[in-house]
Amino acid sequence: MMRPARAPVKLLGGAACLALAVFLPWLAPNQFYTHLGTVACLNLMLVLGLAIIARAGQLSMGHAGFALVGGYVSALLSMNAGWPPLLGIVAAGLLSAGLAAALGWIILRLRGVYFVLVAFSFGQIAVLLALDMSDLTGGANGLIGIAPVSIFGHSLVSKPDFYPFALACALATLLFTWLLYRSPFGDMMAATAENQRLAESSGIDTHLTQVIAFTIGSGIAGIAGALSAHYFRFISPDSFTFWESVSYLTMLVVGGRVGVLGSVIGVVVLTPLPEMLRATQGLQHIIYGAVLVLSLLFVPDGLASIPQRLRKARQTAPHNASLRAGTGP
Amino acid sequence: MLRFKVLPALAAALFASTASAETLTLGVNATLSGAGAVFGEGMAFAAANMADQINAKGGLKVGDKTYKIEIKKYDDRYRAQDAVNAMERLILEDKVKYVVGPMGSASTVATQARTNAEKVVTLTMAFTPKALSPQLPYSFRPAITTAEFTGPQLAWLGKKLPLKRVRALEPNDETGQSVANSQKEAYKAIGVDLQVDFFERERVDFVPILTRILASADALEIGGNSPTTAGLLVKQARELGYSGPIFVTGGDVTSELVKVAGKQAAEGVYVHLPIDISRPETAAYIKDFEAKFKYPANGHNLFMYSGLQMLFAAMQKAGTVNDTTKVAKELESLSNFPTVLGPAGWTGRNLYNTNHQIDLPFYVGQIRDGVATKIATCNVEACR
Amino acid sequence: MEIILAQTVVNGLMVGMIYVLMAIGFTMVFGIMRIVNFAHGDFYMVGAFLFAIFYGSNGAPFILSLILAVLGTAALGLFIERVVFSRFRGNELNGMIASLGIALMMENGALFIWGPSPRSVPPVASGVLSVAGVVFPWSRLVVIIGALIAVGLLYLLITRTQIGRAMRAVAQDSEIALVQGIRVEVIFPVAFVLGISLAALAGALMAPVLSVSPFIGLAPTLKAFIIVVIGGLGSVPGAVAGGLLIGLIESFAGTFVSASIAEILQFLVVIAVVLLRPQGLLGRKEREA
Repeated sequence: MMRPARAPVKLLGGAACLALAVFLPWLAPNQFYTHLGTVACLNLMLVLGLAIIARAGQLSMGHAGFALVGGYVSALLSMNAGWPPLLGIVAAGLLSAGLAAALGWIILRLRGVYFVLVAFSFGQIAVLLALDMSDLTGGANGLIGIAPVSIFGHSLVSKPDFYPFALACALATLLFTWLLYRSPFGDMMAATAENQRLAESSGIDTHLTQVIAFTIGSGIAGIAGALSAHYFRFISPDSFTFWESVSYLTMLVVGGRVGVLGSVIGVVVLTPLPEMLRATQGLQHIIYGAVLVLSLLFVPDGLASIPQRLRKARQTAPHNASLRAGTGP
Repeated sequence: MLRFKVLPALAAALFASTASAETLTLGVNATLSGAGAVFGEGMAFAAANMADQINAKGGLKVGDKTYKIEIKKYDDRYRAQDAVNAMERLILEDKVKYVVGPMGSASTVATQARTNAEKVVTLTMAFTPKALSPQLPYSFRPAITTAEFTGPQLAWLGKKLPLKRVRALEPNDETGQSVANSQKEAYKAIGVDLQVDFFERERVDFVPILTRILASADALEIGGNSPTTAGLLVKQARELGYSGPIFVTGGDVTSELVKVAGKQAAEGVYVHLPIDISRPETAAYIKDFEAKFKYPANGHNLFMYSGLQMLFAAMQKAGTVNDTTKVAKELESLSNFPTVLGPAGWTGRNLYNTNHQIDLPFYVGQIRDGVATKIATCNVEACR
Repeated sequence: MEIILAQTVVNGLMVGMIYVLMAIGFTMVFGIMRIVNFAHGDFYMVGAFLFAIFYGSNGAPFILSLILAVLGTAALGLFIERVVFSRFRGNELNGMIASLGIALMMENGALFIWGPSPRSVPPVASGVLSVAGVVFPWSRLVVIIGALIAVGLLYLLITRTQIGRAMRAVAQDSEIALVQGIRVEVIFPVAFVLGISLAALAGALMAPVLSVSPFIGLAPTLKAFIIVVIGGLGSVPGAVAGGLLIGLIESFAGTFVSASIAEILQFLVVIAVVLLRPQGLLGRKEREA
């Protein structure tokens, strides 16, 4: 690949992928693939939310918990208060974000590990409360008959109807994340993740930066959770456990944590994986675990970094310089 | 995503050349991994066993066609959303019309609107009362649930033992919650005050809760628990010096319970016996199954196998496998049908307004010297 | 009432001791290697399974089964440390993510090898010791005694031996320890294997009291997390205090209120500790981030 050609190639590739995504319902042999496409869109939003938090140097193991909060809030608002789902989804995002802001304000003052442990416990407690408050949440059986999203009086019930909406939401999130990364705040997040003390000494309020990133990321998770409630038209606690947070994290790590492209690649690669392995007993989990560990060992910057690494390797090879993949500090 | 379009095409090309007889695909949507896998595997093995037997005989004769049975089984990982994905795949991609499962209540509730709209006949194992209703003409349940057996069983026990206050301990999950609900009604019906305590499913130390509740209990009810948990509860309650009666109104727990609690602690525990292994047809099935699959034939396996016996008979009676409406009607009308668990029919009109609940005898047992002894035989009306 | 109170305290301390074993191992691995090991509870699970196989299925003597179960798990731990965790030295984030992958593989690997149905292990002891109306089941006393011996030996190891002092030095500051000539590449695997061996011991001790299945590890892991946040990350005395505290909270809330409240209460205690005493009850103050 010659250097000057790269930008147009990238653009062309992006356009082709976008076209593929947009025309998926017509290209796929049956609606099951449209359904998977919708699931991928929802996953992408969740993974991007996690990516924003990771961009500021934190890892939220309670991510599914915020999706759960969002899902139940929107479902209950539409079922009990008669709110239109679109409004409920916005409210779900705001509430999840508010919760994250409060929790983040308290725990992000501490070192990263504490954040991980407390966010993890938050996720557990969220599931527990959803199970316990059965008068409100329907307990373990969850809630059924949640209203579908309706736009200008048109209900998005069928799979081909909901998919464009999910895709639009996912693309909007993608664009938002991309813009966020390029904004001055994006630089602050990156600096915080790189070296907190250094960032602090150059005048960045790292605490605030991380709280904001956590708030935005968890808000997106809340919106995604609400969308899934109105798509599946049911919600139950078992879909938001700790292991869901782990699978979002796997997608993020396997795809790559640096830019937005990694999240997309991770979701596209790993959303169909459980489907391919659905007929096998438990093998899918072992493969998921192995994929996670292997990608950390051999492609720590994710699949998205491979083209760049190849390029670098090619450039440096003639100079006999060895390039070591950086897993170090 | 592109790769996906190639795969089915390739598969279709492959199968077109080899398939000579017609095939009937039976879907399995159950939990095949994780903690619930014991039950899901029981269901999947029932389907596999049935398919093997039919295929060995040359296929299933329906009308003037003969069908080879093919199984498509998918794991729901005990998550309702995965059950939805698996069901979509069975319906949309595999074009399946008959499904073994779903297994869990949340999975069943999450998928039933869709399967009934698509006229897909499902044999669910879910204990939730929401699994059956007149709006769900294609949903059948070939398992006896707490809603069926709790009432008659407790009425019988209530006459036998002096009970005023019973304390129950159930896991805080779908099984525990739905079992607790039917127990509350059944105990109320016999004038006993029942108080239920829930605990988190991963919990293994019950001593604190037991300390509290046993002080004021005439009897301990632990019916919604897994066999192992029930065993732990019996053991820990006896260790705390509790000597009153213990009821396990639910599930087929005896062998595990005795293993965990030990013979001494388990002595005298009242259990629900879903299956009478002294029945010749049941004993013959279990022997045959375990020899073939090297896997214990559990309740889910036997119930599902009975349900499948009825389903395939209904297809033959209907003379079609494609018109599921007709098959469902024929299935519903079967009565006194010989299954491996005895003569079966359908009941449920009183509870669910529809007769899609299997009607099989069940039993009250008491553990004596490590073995459950049958002390009463019941149907949905009463125990004798 | 007094008897119930006393019984509640005893119950809490008994279950607390197991939490202590879990939390000490977890906090040691973190303090020395800086790895948040999400797979910690899975070593508990493997220890329990191995014990079930040696003691329950093959009838080996109790003490021998304990030793074999711990050694077997330790060997697995050493292998995992060499192959995976040693590559993430100094990278807390990736080490933690890797531990999640390990946890997935271990749990589902166990499911593959040992199957989903829970196993029960014959009791080591039966009957109860009754002191003034307070009941101590012997089966649990065995666990407590085992746990106390383990904690005692560990205390001797870290205070009296050279390797113990070296481990403490690394936990204090690995750079300075390096300058002093402590061989970190030896200390790390030793600490990791020691930490997960404690988890394996907890699993093996609990196997006869409870039952054994591939997914029993998550609950103790969660407990260990909560305990170390409360007690102070990396602090062994903190893990002891936190473990006993959580045991007592569970026991009291379970006895007098309800089991679910116990879990929620624990989370609130965590938030309160983080707010009021961020270094944990007995933790050192962390360097300002």
